[in-house]
Amino acid sequence: MSETPKLTPVLEMRHVSKRFDATQALDDVALTLYPGEIHALLGENGAGKSTLIKIMTGIHKPDQGDLLLDGQPLSIGSPTEAQGFGIAAIYQEPMVFPDLNVAENIFITHRSTGAVMRWGKLYRDAEAILAQLDVRLDVRAQARGLTLAAQQTVEIAKAISLKVRVLIMDEPTASLSAHESAQLFKLMRTLRAQGVAILFISHRMEEVFALADRVTVFRDGKLVSSKPARDVTPDGAIRDMVGRKVEEFFVKRAAERGDLLLSARGLGRANTFTNVSFEVHRGEVLGFAGLIGARRTDVGLALFGIAPADAGELAFQGRPVQIRSPEQALKLGIAYVTEDRRQLGLSLPMSIVSNVSLPMLRSYLTALGLIKRGAEVATAEQYRQRLAIRTPSVQAEVGKLSGGNQQKVMLSKWLNAKPQLLILDEPTRGIDVGAKAEVHQIINELAGQGMGIILISSDLPEVLAMSDRILVMREGRQMGTFTRAQATQETVMTAAMGQVMS
Amino acid sequence: MTGIRRLVRPEQIRELSLVVLIMGAVLFFGSQIDGYYSARTFTRISTGAAILAVVAVGQTLVVLTRNIDLSVGSIVGFTAYFVGTQLAAHSDMAPITAVLMALAIGAVMGLLNGLLVAYGNVPSIIVTLGSLAIYRSILVDYSGAKTVTTESLPKWLVDLSSANLFTVGRLEVRLMVVVALAIVLVFHLALGYLRFGRRLYAIGSNPEAARIAGLPAQRTLLTAFVVCGALSGLAGFMFLARFGTITVVAAQGMELQAVAAVVVGGVTTFGGSGTMIGALLGTILINTLEQSLIRWPEISEFWRDAIQGLLILLAVAADAVIINRLRQFWARDELKPRAAEPAPAPGESA
Repeated sequence: MSETPKLTPVLEMRHVSKRFDATQALDDVALTLYPGEIHALLGENGAGKSTLIKIMTGIHKPDQGDLLLDGQPLSIGSPTEAQGFGIAAIYQEPMVFPDLNVAENIFITHRSTGAVMRWGKLYRDAEAILAQLDVRLDVRAQARGLTLAAQQTVEIAKAISLKVRVLIMDEPTASLSAHESAQLFKLMRTLRAQGVAILFISHRMEEVFALADRVTVFRDGKLVSSKPARDVTPDGAIRDMVGRKVEEFFVKRAAERGDLLLSARGLGRANTFTNVSFEVHRGEVLGFAGLIGARRTDVGLALFGIAPADAGELAFQGRPVQIRSPEQALKLGIAYVTEDRRQLGLSLPMSIVSNVSLPMLRSYLTALGLIKRGAEVATAEQYRQRLAIRTPSVQAEVGKLSGGNQQKVMLSKWLNAKPQLLILDEPTRGIDVGAKAEVHQIINELAGQGMGIILISSDLPEVLAMSDRILVMREGRQMGTFTRAQATQETVMTAAMGQVMS
Repeated sequence: MTGIRRLVRPEQIRELSLVVLIMGAVLFFGSQIDGYYSARTFTRISTGAAILAVVAVGQTLVVLTRNIDLSVGSIVGFTAYFVGTQLAAHSDMAPITAVLMALAIGAVMGLLNGLLVAYGNVPSIIVTLGSLAIYRSILVDYSGAKTVTTESLPKWLVDLSSANLFTVGRLEVRLMVVVALAIVLVFHLALGYLRFGRRLYAIGSNPEAARIAGLPAQRTLLTAFVVCGALSGLAGFMFLARFGTITVVAAQGMELQAVAAVVVGGVTTFGGSGTMIGALLGTILINTLEQSLIRWPEISEFWRDAIQGLLILLAVAADAVIINRLRQFWARDELKPRAAEPAPAPGESA
């Protein structure tokens, strides 16, 4: 709304850097928050926004740089300390206590309340805070039954009750309906009027430009721009977000496009995604691009039968099919390599051998139903050489391998199922540059052998470089499908953010 | 409808249904067993329930935090035996000393459980399964397979179990029953009015959020186990007073009864939800069935445990289905946008 350069900033960050292993998450960034300001922070997935929030809330410590509160340097050791300084964060998924009621949730962390609960006062205080926010909410209602929007309101009320001065809102509207979002924006304006500094993170341009006083853009852990909102256009902001020089280690070797493998028409699943249509041919890589929450993974899960589609038509190798279970998908020749390696993809305490043979264990059984250990080991050995898994032994515990090698074990596991269509969900997330190049090499080879590949990735340069065609999703909807020639960072990002390119 | 929902919580519907179940059980057994409606039946059920209720109160505190204490039966047995031998050896010991001794032994045993669970990060089911065996083994070793007998105990203790506080009609209300009810009431109030009680609910409700919110989760957890142990110790003293004869297998299997009572009473094993009144009603139901089935010739004693097990399963199933429905019904429309707003699409908040 108004620029407030003369005020002292509430919170200032200078020359902040943070490194995780091989990744420079933040590189000498700065951010200044003034009281009574809504400050939008933009950036692609992996631009460093989350790391910044975690530093502000005391979950991570910066490697370098200073934080200043009211001009005084400070260090934040824990979330509790951050709360003490008046810094609070609200996430996409609210952190409420479902069995406690609204008033209890607001005051649960308060140290000032005595050992004995004074319910009357508690309810009155809670009602006063909600009134201050101009929302109507039954303070005696259990949090369990509240909508996400109401739960967020409870979290905001909790922040207010803790005398918050800096409120970080990390994609608070991601799961809200339009009406609920509008309520939230009203609340944000109320807070701004009360002098709270709000750091607002959103992938929705229209929200950013409707609310923000200042827009800061991060890219690859660096600060790109920070300007008053009126000096920024949506197009300009998007250019700032994606305008990096593409590091050219992505090498695509085009394979020959073969027969039609899978076609989807109007595929959908209630409350998840709707009307997604595409085709995958042999030897082709179909990229799925989009931001977090675009529901690309859900399409992958539907194709593999984990969360089956309930609308639309699927045809595999020309025959109409309904995929209802992973067993069925595997029989058809579809394999899905999950994005969540550690939780869903691998059994970490088990050996490489046991992991690789797991989905196809049936083919390693003798007539008596015993496992042929020798054949298992031979298969694992074969993949170790083919994918260059770096390990002293195939009997090594998977949990002890590096991320890149774990990824290769997971690939081995599913390649061993001899799929015709391979769905790769974020295959290079969290692995180092070298391993990444190797994974890309494997993708090229597989396509060259006539496998159809669906590549779901939030790494935009990767999707652009590896795919023959790119399907862009946003919040469960297909925003467009681009050929390799049409797809650029700008066109894909614009579609992913739901902006019409002017 | 809204008016009713404002006055009554879904948990109370559940408690009401337990009352109906208890009454139904009493009516059923009354028609099956001759002379069932007698002062003796009341005394038997009420004193039996009194001991179990004290254990169930402690168990409720632990289960609320999404944990479980399987060692309560062993604590009851050990305390009963240990205090029994001490009283036999020192017949001049003051009653209060004996009670404090029972509480202290239980508290120490609970402390060991709690330390391992809260600070050692060992799952409570493992810790207390281990201590169930260990505490029982200590008892076996300490006793040398001897038995505490009623004759060896001081007279005041033997009289305690039949001490009558007041009489309603022909029904005698024993001192032990009143003590148990008082404990239930005190902890019921503690859950409602102490910050400690709220923290138990919060920790069981969302452990991750409790950590981020900076609640003293470990300390609260430890306290829950210590109190549970101390109450089991007190129950051990009551057990001694009631039975007089204590062998090494005293109160064996009481952990199953306590867990059954708590779960049937609506304290969910997922933590964060349940009340002391519910646990008390669960205790009464479990004990009524237990005491009545003994006298019902139609059913062999081997089936009694099965019925208890079946009840646990039914209670958990009822929780999964009915209570959730009720809760949803109660929660619905709580934050209805001010009139004429389109309702959010179903599942939007899922």
